[in-house]
Amino acid sequence: MFAKEVVKQSLPLLIICGLGGIITGNFLGVMIELFKEIPGLLIVVPAVIALRGNINTTLGSRLGSAYHLGIIDAENMWNNELKQNILGSLILSFLISLIIGILAYISSIFLQIYPNPLVIISIVLLAGGLSGIILAFLTVIIIYVVFKQGYDPDNITGPALATFGDIITILCIFFSALLIGGFA
Amino acid sequence: MIYSWKKIVLSGIPILTFTALLELIAGQILQGNSEILFMLPLFLISIPVVNSVGGNIGTILGARLASGLHVGTITYSFKDKIMHENLLTSLIIGIITFFVLAILIYFIGYFSDIQMGLRFPEYLTIIMTTGIVLVIMISFISITTAFISFKNGLDPDNMIAPVVTTFGDTLGIIILFLIIGAVGL
Repeated sequence: MFAKEVVKQSLPLLIICGLGGIITGNFLGVMIELFKEIPGLLIVVPAVIALRGNINTTLGSRLGSAYHLGIIDAENMWNNELKQNILGSLILSFLISLIIGILAYISSIFLQIYPNPLVIISIVLLAGGLSGIILAFLTVIIIYVVFKQGYDPDNITGPALATFGDIITILCIFFSALLIGGFA
Repeated sequence: MIYSWKKIVLSGIPILTFTALLELIAGQILQGNSEILFMLPLFLISIPVVNSVGGNIGTILGARLASGLHVGTITYSFKDKIMHENLLTSLIIGIITFFVLAILIYFIGYFSDIQMGLRFPEYLTIIMTTGIVLVIMISFISITTAFISFKNGLDPDNMIAPVVTTFGDTLGIIILFLIIGAVGL
């Protein structure tokens, strides 16, 4: 039966992604005191996590296509095509993080929350940049392993990056908030 | 050389800025309801789970619809039988997944030292209702995105994931707080 097949194939992966969500959620729970101390921090959490997911799944998806086109493979990976892809992703990370920080500050004023603009923008920039660098490397490693094993990267990079990405990003937000909140 | 960082950055800016705006709305709703989240941290823990499961079910449904439309087994009609079957399957998967994860979250919370503030039946009711409403709405968005992009000659494979995950995050948070409000905690 059709429904049975689909349930059997997607349910385990969904529950694993959900477990990743529980880990991310528990870090949010640990951060409650920080959310109380730094007004505006909670506002940027969904945007930074989503930005990370969008940038890295598109990077993974482009590298998957590059593999199918024969532009990169396990023996010839660290070439200029890969460098352009990573450079593009990193510049986007910093640029959109800056936009998120500024928009979060402006939208907060309208809602009569007054975050410290310098604190909020620096936390978003640091968290967005740091998680961008870590995940770009993780993407390359995942892609390399997938190539070596001869799997199709299109089937693996998306869910793997989405699950690891959320956890690493929330850790980067946590670290940045502790560091910058500590200075402010 | 096929890829250039300039092209990647320029083509990324508009869509990423747009999704960032929608996600900031989700963030403002979180901040606006922060009292509830600080008082009942179980819901703070549940938010990434609700968003992740909702987004994944929507993208899986969307990917199957996109393949069906490409191959021609699904026709461009809201009355398509195979599409209905796909929709029903998503709902079944959603109900099972939210049920399993809600039990897990409650018991992880129970055995850690966070403040609980509500009993298991209340929590389960809120998460299950949120999950079912979210899966129905996300499936509708996924089907509409697949049909609209297919009709306009765009590859639904490129459109569904960003649209579904972004709207899913915002909707998930809105629905959760509406249901919490309706239950009257």
